[in-house]
Amino acid sequence: MRSKRTTNPFWNRQQKIAPYLFIAPFYLLFVVFMGYPLISSLVMSLYEMRGFQSRIFVGLGNFTDLFRDPIFWKSLRNTAYFAIGTLTLQLPIALLLAILLNSKFVKGKNVLRLAFFAPVLVAGVFVAIIFNLVYDQRAGLVNQEFVLFGKEIGWLNEEKYVMPAVILTGVWQWAGFNMIYFLAGLQGIRQELYEAAAVDGANWWQAFIHVTLPSLRPVIAFVFVVSMIGSLQLFDLPFILTNGGEPADAGSTIVMYLYKNGFQFMRLGYAATIGWVLFFIIAIVSIVQLKLLGIFREE
Amino acid sequence: MLRLSIDAESFPLGKGPMVMLVLFLISTLFIFGHSEEQGEDLEFWIFANTHYEEYQARVPLFEAENPAVNVRLINFGGTMHDKLLAAMLSNFGAPDLVEVEITSIGRFLKGAIDEIGFVDLRPRLESEGWMDKLVVSRFTPWSYRGRIFGVPHDLHPVVLLYRDDLFKAAGVEMTAVKTWDDFIAAGKKATRDLDGDGKIDQYAIVLDRRTESDYFSLLLQQGGGFFDEDGNVIIDSELAIKTLEFFTALFNEHEIATPVYGTWHGDPSNFAAMQDGKILSILAPDWYVGILKSQVPQMSGKWKAIGMPAWQPEGRRTTTRGGTMIGITKQCKNPDRAWELLKFTYFDRSGLVNRYETTRIIPPLKAAWDAPIFREPDVYLGGQPLGELFIELAPDLPARYQNPYWSEAADLLNDAIFAAVTEKQTPREALTELAEKVRTLIAKDMGRWGDM
Repeated sequence: MRSKRTTNPFWNRQQKIAPYLFIAPFYLLFVVFMGYPLISSLVMSLYEMRGFQSRIFVGLGNFTDLFRDPIFWKSLRNTAYFAIGTLTLQLPIALLLAILLNSKFVKGKNVLRLAFFAPVLVAGVFVAIIFNLVYDQRAGLVNQEFVLFGKEIGWLNEEKYVMPAVILTGVWQWAGFNMIYFLAGLQGIRQELYEAAAVDGANWWQAFIHVTLPSLRPVIAFVFVVSMIGSLQLFDLPFILTNGGEPADAGSTIVMYLYKNGFQFMRLGYAATIGWVLFFIIAIVSIVQLKLLGIFREE
Repeated sequence: MLRLSIDAESFPLGKGPMVMLVLFLISTLFIFGHSEEQGEDLEFWIFANTHYEEYQARVPLFEAENPAVNVRLINFGGTMHDKLLAAMLSNFGAPDLVEVEITSIGRFLKGAIDEIGFVDLRPRLESEGWMDKLVVSRFTPWSYRGRIFGVPHDLHPVVLLYRDDLFKAAGVEMTAVKTWDDFIAAGKKATRDLDGDGKIDQYAIVLDRRTESDYFSLLLQQGGGFFDEDGNVIIDSELAIKTLEFFTALFNEHEIATPVYGTWHGDPSNFAAMQDGKILSILAPDWYVGILKSQVPQMSGKWKAIGMPAWQPEGRRTTTRGGTMIGITKQCKNPDRAWELLKFTYFDRSGLVNRYETTRIIPPLKAAWDAPIFREPDVYLGGQPLGELFIELAPDLPARYQNPYWSEAADLLNDAIFAAVTEKQTPREALTELAEKVRTLIAKDMGRWGDM
């Protein structure tokens, strides 16, 4: 890059402060829109607020109330259920699709890639509205077409089916998106590794276990962590699909419960507490995931 | 001394970035230096599209009568209540006038009575004699501790909308149904397995068991509620328990009710079931009839309406569901001017007649009810003058007392109703437990805050 010195003292001085000015917008925006709200919400979690002006200090009272709150635990269970469903169902499907689309034997790859990726372009609200029709107990596509279930399943009306319905919707919407990450990872694996494995007599499965998966480890770690964080922050899909978490809070998630407390019940201190508990959950889960996937390990 | 000599050559990153910077500065000055129209501004927030259409036509008339006023009408849709909450919380950015939906108003009433973000309209309403001119029970959802924070937009009386053809095919004349006992008898005849496959193909009524909407309507019809006028929890009263027992019996004992198809009465699945003849009746407020007309116009001529069945002979034949108020916020700089706009949009007879024409919403202003439009035959109901029926029922609307804890209470009530209908708890257990939870919540707050 060309470096130019000038005799003009204004620009000489300016060159010294320019780097700070260039990074200043980020820090200013961070302080205003992230730093201040973070600190403010932490302070808020130690208060109980009532109405628009009154607040009293309750220390860790909101946290102890939260851990005794059955709806919080139910929301946490539902969120964990979705996260596990995402990891065990959505990501393997995404990986499988990526492997299929990376193979030499599949035709029309570009069209298929677009088709699998397309659902993520649909806004979550519309996805929820569409799947509301799909899951309808009597007229819905799922119950109409999949008679192998042998009975009318109340996907959105019976508590035990609500989260599976949300998970399946998540698979439809996000599997294609994660597939793109896996596909990029697969395309980055050097062909020589497969050739060497073939020379060593490895079959397809052994090559997959000993070449593909280890080479994909950084991508898998990234997708797992990002998907897990996204799952723990689940809100709009079940909120619309289950009309606010009904029936009997079967579709309630942590963020939905946070929203309800903050905006519907006007319990802002309590909502801030839920937010911080969610933050610690995400931080712990992410660190454990990265540790288990060996991302902190030195090669 | 610093010599400020800016030219394109000495600008460190060259000519291009300098031109961009200059353009940025000019456009910033233009945007922020742009002066608004002359005159006084009134900002008016709403959340309903149908209201937006109406006010878009009304506001220019108000501005023509008041040339010094510019009204900025903003429709935020479903996110409006959250924006209003944020504006009131930060004490900055709230509109002068705002419409608030009935299930959302509770959260704005929390805190000390003097901290509530709306102007008390009682003095204006009383001094100008408006209280007597409107249906007085409709002020209760917008009142708290003797103050009135909003003027009702609507009445929302509820009728029983029914498929006359299908009931008649089952040998039932619905105009003879006067009480809920009559309805159960009629419903047992009309709920049928038409093709003999052992599954019921048509149900006498569709009810929402996931949310409080239908159950609470039935409770209000009898003068019950979740809270009484003084804010006491009364959801475990014998009246409330008996009503929930009746509600669950419609599903489980009499087997004449079907749960709503989809997640609520306005779900496309529910409309599909109606078109397929699976649903023979529904408890319908005036706004719901408007939704039906727009969403399932192909069912025109198939519905008829009667007043809701009463709980005892000569009892109340209606209830109320839903509602909107208009209020003046405390951030309004000129409440007198805002009050004038409020009256123009809510109390003008010709405007209210026009409102009925576009939305089928019956206005609370009694002076508007004698307009011929309310007596006109309604094509959607096969020529029955629906407006006339609504107006006949309107004076008998029950009171619906408001409370700051309504949002929490309603959320828990949804769970209690579902538990009772799915027989996880008896109605008595579900409502007793619910009442206890809400009382505990209130008692805890009272312990911390005192009686605010």
